[in-house]
Amino acid sequence: MMSSRQRALIEFVLDNLVWFLLAFVLAIFSLAIPNFFQIGIFANIIEQSTFVGVMAIGLAIVIIAGHMDLSVESVAALTAMVTGILFCTHGIGLGYTLSPEWLIVPVSLLLAIAVGGAIGAINGWLVVRLQMNAFIVTLAAYIWVRGLVVAISGGRSAQGLPPSLRFIGIDTVAYIPLIAWIAIACFALFTFIMAKTPFGRHITMIGGNAVATFRAGIKVDKLVVFSFVLAGAIAGVAGWLLAIRTSGATANLGTGMLFNAFAAVVIGGVSLKGGVGRLPGVYAGVLLLSSIHTAINLMGLPAHFTQMILGGLVLVAVLLDTVKLSIRQKLA
Amino acid sequence: MKRILTAIAGVLALTAIALLSPAYAQSKGKIYYMVPTLLDEFQTESVSALTKFLADVGYEVVTLNADNKTDVQQSQMNDTITLKPAAIVLAAVDFNALQPSIEKARAAGIPVMQFDRQITATMSDFTSVAGTVEIGYVAAGEIQRLLKEKNGDVKGKVLQVLGDPADPYTLDIQKGFEEKMKEFAGVQIISLPAMAWEASNAGTIVSDQLVANPDIDLIFVHAAHLAVAAVASLEAKGKKPGDVMLVSSNGAPVGLDLIRKGWEQVEVEQPLYAQAAAIAMFADKVVNKQEIKPGTYTVLGLESTVTIEKWGPNIKIPGAAITKDNIDEPRFWGNLKAPTDKIMPVE
Repeated sequence: MMSSRQRALIEFVLDNLVWFLLAFVLAIFSLAIPNFFQIGIFANIIEQSTFVGVMAIGLAIVIIAGHMDLSVESVAALTAMVTGILFCTHGIGLGYTLSPEWLIVPVSLLLAIAVGGAIGAINGWLVVRLQMNAFIVTLAAYIWVRGLVVAISGGRSAQGLPPSLRFIGIDTVAYIPLIAWIAIACFALFTFIMAKTPFGRHITMIGGNAVATFRAGIKVDKLVVFSFVLAGAIAGVAGWLLAIRTSGATANLGTGMLFNAFAAVVIGGVSLKGGVGRLPGVYAGVLLLSSIHTAINLMGLPAHFTQMILGGLVLVAVLLDTVKLSIRQKLA
Repeated sequence: MKRILTAIAGVLALTAIALLSPAYAQSKGKIYYMVPTLLDEFQTESVSALTKFLADVGYEVVTLNADNKTDVQQSQMNDTITLKPAAIVLAAVDFNALQPSIEKARAAGIPVMQFDRQITATMSDFTSVAGTVEIGYVAAGEIQRLLKEKNGDVKGKVLQVLGDPADPYTLDIQKGFEEKMKEFAGVQIISLPAMAWEASNAGTIVSDQLVANPDIDLIFVHAAHLAVAAVASLEAKGKKPGDVMLVSSNGAPVGLDLIRKGWEQVEVEQPLYAQAAAIAMFADKVVNKQEIKPGTYTVLGLESTVTIEKWGPNIKIPGAAITKDNIDEPRFWGNLKAPTDKIMPVE
């Protein structure tokens, strides 16, 4: 017979399995790879997790709500390009300035959120009002939004963001770059929202059983549309950060991030069936992926290994999820 | 239902507007340009240059974008063959995979000209290239000079950031570069690919390597847009222009900007305008299946050599190293000042 303390311990381990996995992987890399164990590398891992991490927040929310959003990568590319075109001083940048200069931070951020939110609203409207399949709607958006990026840029790039915006990509606080702190703040905010507010609880309930949630008097349609708007707006923030990090935007910026975001969400324990998942796990998933990317960079392995390891990790994550489920059933 | 019909009508109307294009008066016919992607500035500008130069000699250009997908480009070739254009200009996504499509087009009597990417495994009617391996050679020469200036000898640590490892273009540059650097035992080269030619991937590589190998002397990136992300990473690590030397290839506007700002020392340019002008100069001969004679031709002021290779007539146009001393010359496509003089066909 298992004591309640043992049961609680097992529950804790199961809930935070991905964090233990991350600690294990970091320990192995630190021991095995020369130059890995140093503060600069850990800061790099956290910094590199920023874009995929922020993107994964919105993706996770939509998936927890029982839907799918494949457009987040293209939305991020679009907001990066909009930021680049408006505020960059070289290439196709128009070099708009604001007075006082610091206004560029909130204005560009709000613009990115608005552009991303608008794409999310279109997706949400098509899914909820026209009852179209979210996979197809957002796949279409993935394609047309990237096309829009090429169209508005003409395939050219914008570069040279002003220092009043670039400082976010350069300055550090406690060794960690400011952009990474923004990502951490986003995770903290949305973890709170998903765990402690009626909105978060309702989204989880919808993903678990939309019909029962509707019968409980909750406005399912409205919340689903809002989850898409949120995913778009958060992807907009990811694009804004990406533009700041690379000091501009190219038409192919962010290519491949969608699959990393998906991998992080799955590794982080979010069920693709909806109704299950916590954002801290997703952040651990993103950190795990970044650690592997960094390790491969330092080892000088061909990049193809990253993709093989990534694919393997997703499989392991799904297997672990099955194991977790069966252990929980035994505990119940 | 009304909403759905309205949405469908809206989508159809937008599609119709997008497809409507002005009808051009045809003189000598249409030439299809198979551009591999529109996600980089070289390719985008190649569309403008080929459209302008081929119009100078009487052809209308229709461009099809393969989005870097081999199968898409193969389908485009098949579709185009059925339209029987005057010629096809191909910048192949994959050098080997397009070989059957080229043979099929030529068997159907449609001449095929290769632009920028040389295909040697089969016959083509004309090839206009700078030579990707040669770009690697030029870069190696410049990097040897820079290392010698800094370290007193050709020695030091070089970080080479490739493009996508599945793209033969970047692999050829790497081949040329490493071939010329092989004899310098004192140079350590760390090579890593930026997947999908994506800028932030290049930035990540530079960030990691600057921590693991703080003694890197020089970074060589295979495209100028990757250099922008590399500079962002250098800046984030507190580096100033010149602390770590930077060399890039393709000559895009962003690379030239970085030279002007002092971050980059050399940009090895692909002579885009001359490569496109050569296609236009020889288009009549190719379309009319006339003989192309080997020899030296002046293409936009550049002495270029036509040779008859086993894969057909081939013009090689010299690439150039752009430094702060010659950066403002209008012949560099990165300055985006396309020649206004009318291209004349070769007699």
